[in-house]
Amino acid sequence: MGVEIIFKIAAIGLLTAVVSQVLKQTGKEEIGTFATLAGLIIVIVMVMSLIGDLFGSIKTMFDFG
Amino acid sequence: MEIIFKIIGVGLVTCIAAMMLKPVRSDFAMLVTVVGGVIILVMILSQLSSAINMIKLVASKTGVNSSLLSIIFKIIGIGYLTEFSASMCADAGSAGLGDKVLLGGKIVILVMSLPIVTNILSIVMELLPT
Repeated sequence: MGVEIIFKIAAIGLLTAVVSQVLKQTGKEEIGTFATLAGLIIVIVMVMSLIGDLFGSIKTMFDFG
Repeated sequence: MEIIFKIIGVGLVTCIAAMMLKPVRSDFAMLVTVVGGVIILVMILSQLSSAINMIKLVASKTGVNSSLLSIIFKIIGIGYLTEFSASMCADAGSAGLGDKVLLGGKIVILVMSLPIVTNILSIVMELLPT
């Protein structure tokens, strides 16, 4: 748990932007869309696990069953 | 005390990262702000646990009913969670949805606090001369 995950997400975002730009330049727009989609899904999974951790710790702390 | 510097650092780093990402990919900028908020909240929670343990200790010494205390903690937790998700919705650009989340939290808190209200009412009814 730290700041590195923010950098990770920012790096993934910049990387997918660059990849989609390159793929668009070479005329493979469908693959570019899939690349951005994959990046988005990876980041969403990371964010979801973080939010799950947060909700779990709040659950245990505030006496929810 | 040093934790406030950590929180400020995380906030600033998140802010700058989101600012950098916004022109390139605005959806990722939203996710970065969400993650920054989660990290800050987890830091705060580790601080909060000591306060909660203190309150529990005082309550056990004074003999307060533990079910009432549990209800109060649940209400505090619902408050924090709904506040967090509402501000997340507002960050993502749909503040109206966040308001609805807050409304839902208020209604759940009302439903959860009904046992306390009925307790008070029954005590008042006992005190009243029949």
